[in-house]
Amino acid sequence: MKSILLILTTTFATALFSEAKPLSYVGSTMVMQENDETGHTLSLDYTFTPSEAFGIYIKQEENGKDIFMFTPEFNTLLKRWNLPDGQGNIFNMSGAGIATYRGNNQPSLWTAFLADYESRRWFLSYEPRFVWDGNIEKSAWQRARIGFAPYRANYNDLNTWIMFQVDHHPAKHDHFVATPLIRFFYKTYLFEIGYGSNQHIMVNWQIQF
Amino acid sequence: MKARLIALTVVFGLKTSVFGETIHTTVSGMVCAFCATGIEKTFRKQPEVQSVKVDLPTKQVTIKTKPGKTLSDAKVKEIVTYSGYTMGKIVRGK
Repeated sequence: MKSILLILTTTFATALFSEAKPLSYVGSTMVMQENDETGHTLSLDYTFTPSEAFGIYIKQEENGKDIFMFTPEFNTLLKRWNLPDGQGNIFNMSGAGIATYRGNNQPSLWTAFLADYESRRWFLSYEPRFVWDGNIEKSAWQRARIGFAPYRANYNDLNTWIMFQVDHHPAKHDHFVATPLIRFFYKTYLFEIGYGSNQHIMVNWQIQF
Repeated sequence: MKARLIALTVVFGLKTSVFGETIHTTVSGMVCAFCATGIEKTFRKQPEVQSVKVDLPTKQVTIKTKPGKTLSDAKVKEIVTYSGYTMGKIVRGK
């Protein structure tokens, strides 16, 4: 089962929290996947109010330990600014479930905050994330991203973004990973691909329906 | 004057009942296709709505109602707010 999930995540790859919004419109379901230097993530969320979504979060970490996490998650829009030419948001995403490492099952808790600003030309985001996997691992990392749209696409056009992402892992030798990437999205389909300074390929996708 | 007003009311009422109504509204915060899809789908769920068109450059949403149906300003505002955005001005007709 674990390997099937891993194959699914590896095959379909990531785009979860820090890059794409963790909420959609009421009544919609989002499937998001992220393959990056932190591991492989798959999540499925249902938005049930304009500011709340509930779902599942599965992650296979690749940070020296093969930690497998499975948690229900709850995503909340804490604040939104609707501006004439842009939108700003602050989200919280949290989960509680189990983490497994070499047969050692532990409770898993995690929480993250995402602040973003997006116009039709610019994108900025910052996300700190905290993870507690019992006696397996405690970790924190932060991610920031800046993006630029070379053209202002309309609703029915293919949207293209040139982006640059930086990850910082204070607990893991204080290392930084820089990832230039390109994002495409068309209506409710999003796809991103990048190449990190640690020579990891990043592939993310998201579908809303 | 009174007769003109009555005639206008009858003509407008007839037009709405035969063709439906076109409502234009601007939406603040609608900057991407994901935002636009949420607004479009939420409007489409309304039984009065026949079609919805979104234009990102002008941030304008155009709603066409079914013949004989309309949406009040308050209802349009409620839908936009429920979708997570802020409504600007509403223009009817055209």
